[in-house]
Amino acid sequence: MTSENPPPPLDAALHQDELIRPVAHLRLKAFALLVFTLLLVVGSALYLLYARGAFEPTQRLVLKADDSEGVVVGMDMTFSGFPIGRVRRIELASDGSARILIDVPQKDAHWLRQSSVFTLVRGIVGGTGIRAYTGIMNDPPLQDGAERPVLRGDATAEIPQLMASARELLSNLTAMTDPDAALGASLGNVRTLTERLQGPGGALSVLMGGDADAKKIVQTLDRTNALLARIDRMAAHADEQVFGKEGVMPEARATVVELRKLLADARTSLTKVDAVLVEAQAVGANVREGTTDLGALRADVEASLRKVDSLVNDINRRWPFAREKEMVLP
Amino acid sequence: MWLPQPVHALPERLAQLIWGWALAWWRIVYLGAVVLVLVLSPSSYSRVGRHLLARRMYLDTLPILLGFTALAALLSLIITRIVVVTALSYGLSRYALEMVIRVLVLELIPLTAAMFVAMRCAIPSGAQLAQLRRSGRLVVLERTGADPVRMELLPRVVAAGFASVTLAALSCVVALAMAYFSVFGLGTAGLVSFTRMFGHVFSPEVTLVFVLKTVFFSLAIAVIPMTAGMYDLGASERRSERGGLARMFAVLLLIELVSLVGNYY
Repeated sequence: MTSENPPPPLDAALHQDELIRPVAHLRLKAFALLVFTLLLVVGSALYLLYARGAFEPTQRLVLKADDSEGVVVGMDMTFSGFPIGRVRRIELASDGSARILIDVPQKDAHWLRQSSVFTLVRGIVGGTGIRAYTGIMNDPPLQDGAERPVLRGDATAEIPQLMASARELLSNLTAMTDPDAALGASLGNVRTLTERLQGPGGALSVLMGGDADAKKIVQTLDRTNALLARIDRMAAHADEQVFGKEGVMPEARATVVELRKLLADARTSLTKVDAVLVEAQAVGANVREGTTDLGALRADVEASLRKVDSLVNDINRRWPFAREKEMVLP
Repeated sequence: MWLPQPVHALPERLAQLIWGWALAWWRIVYLGAVVLVLVLSPSSYSRVGRHLLARRMYLDTLPILLGFTALAALLSLIITRIVVVTALSYGLSRYALEMVIRVLVLELIPLTAAMFVAMRCAIPSGAQLAQLRRSGRLVVLERTGADPVRMELLPRVVAAGFASVTLAALSCVVALAMAYFSVFGLGTAGLVSFTRMFGHVFSPEVTLVFVLKTVFFSLAIAVIPMTAGMYDLGASERRSERGGLARMFAVLLLIELVSLVGNYY
């Protein structure tokens, strides 16, 4: 800043150019520039505050998870793919579970209902996501400060299990394709089988286990054929005896005709018996009526007898020869 | 072998080197503190002071404002396009916009703005100061009772810092607009999700680091080249200027490293 030498004469041209050059409306321009910068900075700050949700009324939702791995402050909670909430805090509860405090703007809070379900999903690629599902939109809305459990769905957690299964499958495959494995032996047996199938005995020798037995089967078949021919002839003879002119069937037919005649005669006899029965029924009815008249007659006779009896008694009383009826005491 | 001048021993040269290095850094720190005190001092804003400040701010900021804004828009457009297309090909398009904002607005734009202002304003202003010092203008001012620091240094430092902040702010806004338009097209359909994602990226910690980084960038590019022009290190002028540039880039690199550590560790 200081120099030991005496100052040289001023470079007049430089300083005239640098210091005296006038700027039209300098104060106005400088003020406008200052205001512009200030507006930029303040506007950016306000936009940032708006983007961070500082001017938005929110309600609190607390999600309880057994593990908050992957959850960071500021991450979104989505509903049908749309962000409707933001994680504000993550804290450890007294029971060891994680409490995820989420601010949900009140204009989006109507998507959350009492029956809403919350999941914490961690994908293989990308970050963890908190998602809300509401099945019944008619339920009452979720209250401010409500606590809900969060279900975890971890795609990466299944990888070790998947790897173990894949390893087991591969080891099984290796064991199966081993030269000494059962599959190899089975394939060898199949090859032998096909060779024998193509051989002289064919499938029959495979089934019976040897050519001798296969020949026996063939012989049996021949004998069976002969037997069938004999049975055929026997059937022809039987047919002749049963259905021939001198057979059983014509005689049986004549017998049936005679039986039919007998049945007709029997039917006629029965008709006559029926008429006799009708007659007997009429006789019975007459007898029943006679019996009724006899009852009345008897009553008349009994009345006449009582009258005769009373008449005799009366005559006896009036009769002069009536016997003494006094009792004499000794 | 005979030498016409005495050869300094190695420890002596090492001591001179360390002394010069420490003195340069000390002058930077001292001058930075002086400038800060003067900026906060009401007496610096007298009528003449205000005039000088307004003139330097206007002359240093306005000529480069439009050019740099256009450059930032072009840069943002190209980088956004590259990032979006690449992310789309990997199926990660949902992360593309966040990555663009992180790369452009948080990291590239403030550094580019600071470097641009350093190249266009601060280093030429430092050279002007050195020329004024060599021509004896500063001594004359001192003899006439004026403070050369207030008359010549303060307006240049404040103007360079102001230009850096203005350019950074404007180019950040332009970069955001370019990123939005190149992803969502002309229209306001994606404004809600864009705003939400912007708020997601600019967490309070990241915002603090961003603001501090921009302020320290401005301070570094404003103070260090002026210090190199203001003081005579005894060596040749070119060496002094080169040392000032190297120190400025070192400080910019250090600030960037610290901000990266603050953001991502």
